[in-house]
Amino acid sequence: MAENTKDEQELVSRLRQPQTARSAFNEVIRRYSEPLYHQIRRMVQNHDDASDLLQNTFLKAWQNLEYFRGDARLSTWLYKIAVNESLSFLARERKRYAMSLDDQESALANMIEADSYFDGDAAAELLRKAVVTLPEKQRLVFNMKYYDEMKYEEISEILGTSVGALKASYHLAVKKIEKYIEDHR
Amino acid sequence: MKQESEHILDKFPKKDGLTVPDGFFDDFARRMAAELPLRPELEKLAPAQRRTVWHTVRPYVYMAAMFMGVWCMLSLFTRMSGGTDKLSIEASPELATAVSNESFVEDYIIDNLSGYDLYDSMAADSLDMENLSDSLESLEEEVPAEEAPAVEDPNAPLLPQ
Repeated sequence: MAENTKDEQELVSRLRQPQTARSAFNEVIRRYSEPLYHQIRRMVQNHDDASDLLQNTFLKAWQNLEYFRGDARLSTWLYKIAVNESLSFLARERKRYAMSLDDQESALANMIEADSYFDGDAAAELLRKAVVTLPEKQRLVFNMKYYDEMKYEEISEILGTSVGALKASYHLAVKKIEKYIEDHR
Repeated sequence: MKQESEHILDKFPKKDGLTVPDGFFDDFARRMAAELPLRPELEKLAPAQRRTVWHTVRPYVYMAAMFMGVWCMLSLFTRMSGGTDKLSIEASPELATAVSNESFVEDYIIDNLSGYDLYDSMAADSLDMENLSDSLESLEEEVPAEEAPAVEDPNAPLLPQ
């Protein structure tokens, strides 16, 4: 982790130098595409949507690079952008198709069933379906904690929520998922 | 309850099972690198080309070349149209020799005009032939005798043969 932080500091340093900014950002894309893609995809489920949102995430990061002050980690900043893109997309889709949150939950469950880019077993599919029943904020917390194994402090920086509130949110999410699994076994 | 929930989740894979098309992330990185817009305020642009002496004098050289071209064209057109140089005495040695010979003018120019032709021409110009002698006499008084030729006979040639 310390080595990763050192690498990231070196990358941030290159991003701030006019001569190396573009090449450093290309390195950022290569390094963070996969984790950001998975974070986005777990929210929107569809591969093509996730790909578009990942592209928007990096474009926004590039266009606002001068506003990254380095107070937070680069990965945290990128996760924030990706989360905002994902939530904005879901809100736009609800508005576009005049859907309620429940309608969207059903639509996401249908996408999971029809997803051709999925090689998990039945248990993994059931867990995915259980996660989409969670409110968006809880879904984000659960995904980051369960799948990405992030620390609460890190999630706190991304979502701007206190660690205590995140712990409570995760606990609630686990309970809801447990109930869903028991009901759908 | 907490232990039971964690136990339930332990039976589920941590891997989300989400996949992507083959080579997706490599293609994505290449595509993104190509699509990143230029940020001149953020990136270092290519250094401006150094201004050399040639860059400074180039417009003047081009202008001089243009004038040279125009001059060459005009010169060429003048030569092609024959020009007037060949008609000048200096340019033609034959003409210069002829003009320097006094007898040339007398033999070929002045002598070629007969007294009769001159009289005929004066009559055509409605000059008074009767009073021409008086006019010539008054002219003799003004002009020294050796310079003014005596005209007694109107039919006689005015100029020496």
